Amino acid sequence: MREESENRSRVPWFVGFLGRRLIWAFLTLFIYLSVVFLFVQVWVPFNWATPALLGGPEAYQAALESLGLDRPLWERYVEFATGLVQGELGQSFTGAPVVEVLKDTAPVTIFVFAVGALIAYIVGEFLGRVGGWRRGAVAGFSLSTLGVISATIFPPFLVFVAGYFLRDPLLELRSVMGLPNDSLAIWIDAAVEPAEVLLLMAVSLFGAVLAALLLRSYAHRHRLSWLAWLALPVCLAAAAVGIALAGVGTEALDVLYRIDYTTAVATGSPLLVLIGVVLISFGQVLFMMRVGIEDERHEDYVLTARAKGLRETEVRDRHVVRNALAPSLAGSFLAVPTLLAGMIIIELQLEVQGLSSAFFGAVESQDIPLLMGVLVVLGLIGIGLRLITDLAIASLDPRQRRGEL
Amino acid sequence: MTIRADSPLRDDASRWTLLRSNRKIQAALFLLAFFLLAIVAHPVLQATLWADAPSTYDPATGYDTQIVHPSGPSAEHWLGTDSLGRDVFSMFTYAARFSVTVALAAGVAIGVTSLALGSVAAYRRGWVDGLITHLSDAMVLLPALLAVYVLGVGASSETFGALEVGLSFGVLYGMGPATGAVRAAALGVMAKPFIDAGRQMGAGGLWLVSRHVLPHLVPHAAVQAMIGVTGAVIAEAFLAFRSGVGDDVGFGYLIYEGLTWQELFAGVLATPWWIMIAGATGITLIAAGFYLFGVGLREVYDPRTVGTRR
Repeated sequence: MREESENRSRVPWFVGFLGRRLIWAFLTLFIYLSVVFLFVQVWVPFNWATPALLGGPEAYQAALESLGLDRPLWERYVEFATGLVQGELGQSFTGAPVVEVLKDTAPVTIFVFAVGALIAYIVGEFLGRVGGWRRGAVAGFSLSTLGVISATIFPPFLVFVAGYFLRDPLLELRSVMGLPNDSLAIWIDAAVEPAEVLLLMAVSLFGAVLAALLLRSYAHRHRLSWLAWLALPVCLAAAAVGIALAGVGTEALDVLYRIDYTTAVATGSPLLVLIGVVLISFGQVLFMMRVGIEDERHEDYVLTARAKGLRETEVRDRHVVRNALAPSLAGSFLAVPTLLAGMIIIELQLEVQGLSSAFFGAVESQDIPLLMGVLVVLGLIGIGLRLITDLAIASLDPRQRRGEL
Repeated sequence: MTIRADSPLRDDASRWTLLRSNRKIQAALFLLAFFLLAIVAHPVLQATLWADAPSTYDPATGYDTQIVHPSGPSAEHWLGTDSLGRDVFSMFTYAARFSVTVALAAGVAIGVTSLALGSVAAYRRGWVDGLITHLSDAMVLLPALLAVYVLGVGASSETFGALEVGLSFGVLYGMGPATGAVRAAALGVMAKPFIDAGRQMGAGGLWLVSRHVLPHLVPHAAVQAMIGVTGAVIAEAFLAFRSGVGDDVGFGYLIYEGLTWQELFAGVLATPWWIMIAGATGITLIAAGFYLFGVGLREVYDPRTVGTRR
């Protein structure tokens, strides 16, 4: 507390912090894109001209030349880099600009992943908090088992099991909410596009979470524990009401619950993807949080807090968890790319028209520009989450705000 | 009384005690021993129990003419048979070798890559360190699983088999999160007085790094390797799952078979759960073996350096 009063200034700390982190993020993104370029151009055993190999080596050479792939690597790199700066990613194999393909496919993935990661973090953090604090053998063992299964399960199998058991309940849910079984009936004369609805949902969700965080910090400052508990549910409910008032309530529900009911297993439902993402993600968070709590639980301040007469849950939540959160956040971030890969596999299995359709389509038709585009988007998602993680860590730990991270 | 991981008692002997008494490491060793046993058991069983009927129990071409396939678990076929009439238990024990190969290759690659980059960064500092740190931060963003899939799709098992999957996954993953963690640990080692003492003695960089820095980093690299291996096992299974080619009968292929059957005959014929469960259990248990080993190692060697905390 004292440190903060020393350098009191008008600008909040996170402006400078975010500025520094943004510069860092751009540099990292630049290196990431260069690595991706090298990986795709040098290591990947196929290129855009590979299909021409069927016509013999001459046809292949001609294809290389006509596509400009026979030029030196650095020339192509410069072209790629200048294209990126202008927001251009070239043309896909199908003729459509890569940016357009990504605009159609990426929003679902980003939205579902963001929500899934948030839920998984809350679930994993809570379970890790409980498991790390209480030393009961049975609870510890079952939580560890749950966490390991979550971290190591084969995503296609998980999708199969989830679809097998959740298909009928989800269909019932649709009829309970008054949605027709066929999604087409809703969209055929709707005034909006699915992507627009999704964008609206993403924006309102982001706003709700931000408002909830602000409310919570206000509640903590004024010691209103009921407000702190209610903040997130109330803000989420407000966002939902807002969407309903905007007149796209049915469409928004359908975006989440869309099910192609003619197939044997439930497909096409972003909600199932969300469930899958949560299930494969929470285990890593659980372990990170547990390790963090177990590191902190023997510290002297825990003894002091207990001697003060605080209840055990207060010692845990107010003192231990606050110290364990920052390392667990940083550690959990490292799992993000693995989880993104897992999510893309889940999307593939569920036939959701997300980033996975672009990725697997690109790989199967050896569509290099689209492949590059997908990897660029994955990098952007990663760096965005990294910035959010850093900001969260810095808001928890004032030492991180000034010094290097 | 338990010895805390970061107590002054933590010399090599007490570390050994901690390692042995760590539940996660015990569970991990049990799981890994089980799969090594499975790998050994396959040729042994083929030479003894299945010697009378080699054509029935061959993992790739076996066919039992006596019954209708796929069939559930029975005395002759402990885990049942698949839709082509092959014995699932034989396929399971045979498939273990691919997952273990990929795990070992990836583990070694992650260890070597992260040790090399991390120790050089911490020893040289300056622009070398900056470059390696930024590279590692950037590589963290690349989903190695998808990258390996791009490399392996369409390739045959001779040109891009389990070994290649493991090595390429290991290099990609090793340059990312693993290098970051090993570098952080190496910075801690470089600040120790014995490094200064070595410098005073006139020790050269290579000698100093190889004799006094690397030995302290090996456990940290091992933690990263074990945890990273999980992804490599899943990557190999996913390649087998997607390609659906049965010449290398991996665990992923078993799931592919079960799912394909389910998609074709759902509602008409019973789901062949035993095929999918054999594959899924194989993948999860092998991955869990390595994962638990890594988590246990981290509890013993690295209790305070999870994440960016210093």
